[in-house]
Amino acid sequence: MSDRRDMAPEGPYPPTDAMLAEKVPQNVQKRQAEELRAAWAPPKGWRYPTAVNNSEVGLWYALTAFGFMLLAGVLALAMRLQLAVPGNDVLSADRFNQFFTMHGSAMMFLFAVPMFEAIAILILPAFLGGRDMPFPRLSAFGFWCFVIGGTFVMGSLLFNVAPTAGWFMYPPLATQDEGPGSDIWLLGLSFIEIASIAAAVELIVGALKCRPPGMRVNIMPLYAWYVLVVGGMILFAFPPLIAGDFLFELERSFDWPFFDPTRGGDPMLWQHLFWIFGHPEVYIVFLPSIAIAAMVVPTVAQRPIVGYSWIVLSAVGTGFLSFGLWVHHMFTTGLPNISLGFFSAASEAVVIPTGIQLLAFAATLIAGRVRMSLPMLWIAGALAIFTAGGLTGVMIGIAPFDWQVHDTYFIVAHLHYVLFGGMVLPVIGGVYYFYPFIRKKMLSDRLGRWAFWLIFTGVNVTFLPMHLTGLLGMPRRVFTYSDGMGWGWLNLISTVGAFVIAAGFAVFVWDLLRPKGSQPRIARNPWDAGTLEWSHDVPEEYWGARSIPHITSRYPLWDDKGLVERMDAGRYYLPDSPHGHRETLVTSVIDATPELAQRVTGPTWITLWAAAFTGGAFIFPTFHMYPPAIICAAFAIVCIVYWLWTATARPPAHEMRDAGLGLRLPTYASGPKAVGWWAVWITMLGDATAFASVVFGFFFYWTAKADFPPEGAQHAAAGWVALATLALVLSWALTLGAREWNRAGRVAAARAALVAAPVLAAGGAGALILSVLDLTPSAHVYPALMWALMVWVSAHALVGIIMQLYCLAGSFAGKLTPRYDADLWNVTLFWHFLCLTALVAGAVIGLAPRVL
Amino acid sequence: MERRAAHARTPVGRSMEPTERDRDRVLPGARAGSVLLGLSMLAACEGRQSVLAPAGADARVLGDLFMVMLVGAVVLWLSVNGLFFYVTRINPAALSKRFANGLIVGGGLLLPSVVLAGLLGYGLSIMPDQRAPGDGLTLRVRGEQWWWRVEYWPEGADAPIVSANEIRLPVGQRADILLDSARVIHSFWIPALGGKMDMFPGRETRLSLHPEKPGRYRGQCAEFCGTSHALMAFEAVAMPPEAFDAWLRQQEAPAAAPATAQGQRGARIFAREGCGACHTVRGTKARGLVGPDLTHVGSRLSLGAGTLGTTLADYETWIAHTGTVKPEVEMPAYDHLDPADRADLAHYLKALE
Amino acid sequence: MAEHQPAPDEERREFREERESLWRITLAPATWAVHFVICYAAAAVVCAKAPDSIGTLRLGIGALTLLALGLIGWLGWRAWVQWDVRTTGDYRNPLGEAEDRHQFLGHAAVLLSVISALGVLYVALPALFIRSCG
Repeated sequence: MSDRRDMAPEGPYPPTDAMLAEKVPQNVQKRQAEELRAAWAPPKGWRYPTAVNNSEVGLWYALTAFGFMLLAGVLALAMRLQLAVPGNDVLSADRFNQFFTMHGSAMMFLFAVPMFEAIAILILPAFLGGRDMPFPRLSAFGFWCFVIGGTFVMGSLLFNVAPTAGWFMYPPLATQDEGPGSDIWLLGLSFIEIASIAAAVELIVGALKCRPPGMRVNIMPLYAWYVLVVGGMILFAFPPLIAGDFLFELERSFDWPFFDPTRGGDPMLWQHLFWIFGHPEVYIVFLPSIAIAAMVVPTVAQRPIVGYSWIVLSAVGTGFLSFGLWVHHMFTTGLPNISLGFFSAASEAVVIPTGIQLLAFAATLIAGRVRMSLPMLWIAGALAIFTAGGLTGVMIGIAPFDWQVHDTYFIVAHLHYVLFGGMVLPVIGGVYYFYPFIRKKMLSDRLGRWAFWLIFTGVNVTFLPMHLTGLLGMPRRVFTYSDGMGWGWLNLISTVGAFVIAAGFAVFVWDLLRPKGSQPRIARNPWDAGTLEWSHDVPEEYWGARSIPHITSRYPLWDDKGLVERMDAGRYYLPDSPHGHRETLVTSVIDATPELAQRVTGPTWITLWAAAFTGGAFIFPTFHMYPPAIICAAFAIVCIVYWLWTATARPPAHEMRDAGLGLRLPTYASGPKAVGWWAVWITMLGDATAFASVVFGFFFYWTAKADFPPEGAQHAAAGWVALATLALVLSWALTLGAREWNRAGRVAAARAALVAAPVLAAGGAGALILSVLDLTPSAHVYPALMWALMVWVSAHALVGIIMQLYCLAGSFAGKLTPRYDADLWNVTLFWHFLCLTALVAGAVIGLAPRVL
Repeated sequence: MERRAAHARTPVGRSMEPTERDRDRVLPGARAGSVLLGLSMLAACEGRQSVLAPAGADARVLGDLFMVMLVGAVVLWLSVNGLFFYVTRINPAALSKRFANGLIVGGGLLLPSVVLAGLLGYGLSIMPDQRAPGDGLTLRVRGEQWWWRVEYWPEGADAPIVSANEIRLPVGQRADILLDSARVIHSFWIPALGGKMDMFPGRETRLSLHPEKPGRYRGQCAEFCGTSHALMAFEAVAMPPEAFDAWLRQQEAPAAAPATAQGQRGARIFAREGCGACHTVRGTKARGLVGPDLTHVGSRLSLGAGTLGTTLADYETWIAHTGTVKPEVEMPAYDHLDPADRADLAHYLKALE
Repeated sequence: MAEHQPAPDEERREFREERESLWRITLAPATWAVHFVICYAAAAVVCAKAPDSIGTLRLGIGALTLLALGLIGWLGWRAWVQWDVRTTGDYRNPLGEAEDRHQFLGHAAVLLSVISALGVLYVALPALFIRSCG
């Protein structure tokens, strides 16, 4: 349907050598450059925060994440001071507990994951010779959510009310916790998790649909492969945590006893949901950082990577296997040995792809003529540290050994080796490598070496002794220890090392921030690299690529000497912007054939407002202030609807656009050709995972608890459940019908369907509420879970109704026509998932308790 | 907020020193002069909570496993990083491409697959023994905030022998230890004897331990359990079976009446202050179940769940400054007692052997 | 570079598998994942509801493992054919051509099949070594 003739690209593709050799006249080049410069000009002065361009948002994102990292590092220094000597009293017990909770939470949620997103947003379009990410405003919205949520969570430290139950928030400790600490953690970080998912959607669509023409999957930069894998992992790893947060906050706010064993609940469910997120999380942090190494290593070896397919295998394989490891954080919870065995096995198996990855780097360095550089020094140091962490990982993956060292300083040593080696050092190496790309100046070689050796030494001085500290029996998360344990000297060494690390960071920060006005600009490709980002303009231009090239190899700058010159001349695609629009090229998934000239959104305040109100909707409930929260949520919805209405899927003024090299591309697409459709698809995959996690909760309780559902318990009213399911399915059918009728030109029928569908959806949600109304959710986990499923489905039905009405309004306003129907395609896709959700929820609420 | 402000400063528990000299040490205030003493204690205490000094069958097997893995890890680390060092520093020229490809297949795929499968098999094969059924004696331990409620159930017993904050086990036999918790998750761990096991409210977990060498070891809570998680430890003693049986019989008996006048005064203060509302002293009217059973508290090797020693001064410190020694502990500080009363009470308790 | 570009019609005939093939490389690891989830779920339910049936569980895991290995083997074989390395001798497939893309996806799928088969074998080992639910 979507590839009707009138929307297909026209003209020759791929371009021939003759076409590429043809010169672009100087005056045309000049006009095109001016058009592009005008279209991509960033907002100036007080309007600067309205920028949405990836080069701005990515940079803000990275600096903010780095700032949070420094704060979390200061917390670590304070903790190291407290532990320097036995029986110290620099920090009180409670403050120490706040600090270690926030250190872990901030490093994970405010630094590691956002840093990946930031770097990817900043450089992925450049790797792909693109102009921007497909949804710039979504990046900006995610960034502002991150700033607000992160500041809120970190700010709690200043008021001495920070969460104290550990970054893992185990109930019942965290559910029983008085004061707002745990709520701040749950709501503040849920908010950020949603921003993470938004970034994942953006990055997946970016890597799949926004590659330059000709960049087939076998010649993508490895970084793009990693982004794809990590984006997919975020999509399946974060939703279980969001589902966990949802249940947790229902317990905190309304006393629904999901984790309270006295009322049928089980704290183990949280542990499962948390670690289903928590372990892939480690690889979500590690893979994109090692991806930086995969870009630096070929440059250093001055040859293509050896074992490209092997590294793809490694990334994809690790992505899968990392979901079979979560119970290795729960080896001491008394699960049956055979269950532990499975996770032990997977924990060992995941080492194989990781090892392959490292040896592919080694092989590249062997086969190439190595030209050692400062970024490579950081990467080499990272590998030395990471392999040590990996090898202790092999040890603790063996369940019985973990029974000894679990929750001791051995683990602290292991995880810091992994994270410093697998994340921090490669990322700093990446900063040294990519800084000239971002700022067109070099960082200092001398300071960089100082920073490296200080941090490298510091890491080993701090964390190597901790292995022994742990083996000598020191548990984690203790605010003090007594002087007879023999841990004193080891801790003192670790404390000294921590300050050496801090000194290294001070040097690095100085190098990063010191004024560089007098320094010369860099050469365009200072490292002689082979990938597209080094075709960037010096001095800086905001258009990304002057024209989007046609790519035929993995290292185009090495293999095609005339490429950059042709890009600069505007010989390739989208070299101009005749209507002053920001545009980027959308290509097919596997072979990157051009499909569409996609208009992308520009500067706006609306994303800031949307983020602020979304923040209010999450932050007010922390203090049990529900009316302002609901008002904020309503305003957030209004802002988002306004943003979508004014800036997305507008019928274009010109059906086709001359894209260069004789190719004419459509400017509008709906269905699977449109990036918006992909974004909805990917988002809903994450949403379905979260829903599946709640449903997993039902079967978990059934397995773990002999009395679930309790003998003689009141069930949800089967009649109402059936009615609700039926109404929601009918609403789905009408939405689908509306799409087909609209497309066939039967606009009146489509509008009628779009009037009836929300009514049915509202009725369905209402029936579902009635079905559980007689159950008391605070009495036992069984009715609580029935209510939770009801809340989930009803909330989604509400969103579905807003979407249906949005399409109805679009139809009347002329935004949605039989020809321009992307909105209706996207809404139908949402409803496919909602229909499935309703059917599963109906079966779990209405049928399962009666059958089991 | 107040909750947090109330315990701003926390001196920490001094160590429990097993020698006589320390037991008779005069406290408090010795911190400045205790550097030398601290050094001497190092030798005495070090290794009591160590994975590397196993004294039980389970810990020994795991210690061997660790040594095997440590050697393997060091060899592998040196090989991988030696290779990186060689190709980046010593010989950066382009080397054999064939070798490079072979390295990925051999070093990346084949070697790790075999080594890891072997290690996994080794690890899995020792798991069943680590949880083997016991030889008769069962302990039930419940995690409280922040102490341990302990019951001994010898084979065939109808009622438990109740104790707290100390674990004693006979050498040469395997004991079952059933674990749960009152409110939050804790983890029970005696490194010298074996691996740890978490303790959950509303769910029973099981551990079994087989001490091989008599001696005094130390256990500690390993799962973060709130403000004073750091101060939730216990002494663990492995005894020859006969000595264990004798000790257990002694623990079973009710408390002896105080023999001295000071002890009798202490007993009256104990009753007057309502200590019996929370604590049990079998053989007296004190029947409280909130706090640790104190029937034989004087025979224990630590106070405050492994936080203080057992001198009279330690008893007084604990009675008068509970919240300072152990932040947010549920027992109120009896700092309104005048020094004489405090001394009498300490004397009474220490005599409950 | 451009002389490597075949005409669009030609490539569409020969290497048509465009749409499915990116999913196809994940089929082997997905088989591992399904095997893993079934092993874990079955062990959890058996040990919670009927710990005496662990013998049956272990046999079932053995059978499931053979099934999974068979499936991965078949996927690996198909990928091997697609990779076609014995005819082409090309281990790298570095060019922006449909043929290289086609063979690269075959190569990646072969490697993922190997890893997935190893993963399945590893995950089956506990059923070999552990005989009770304790």
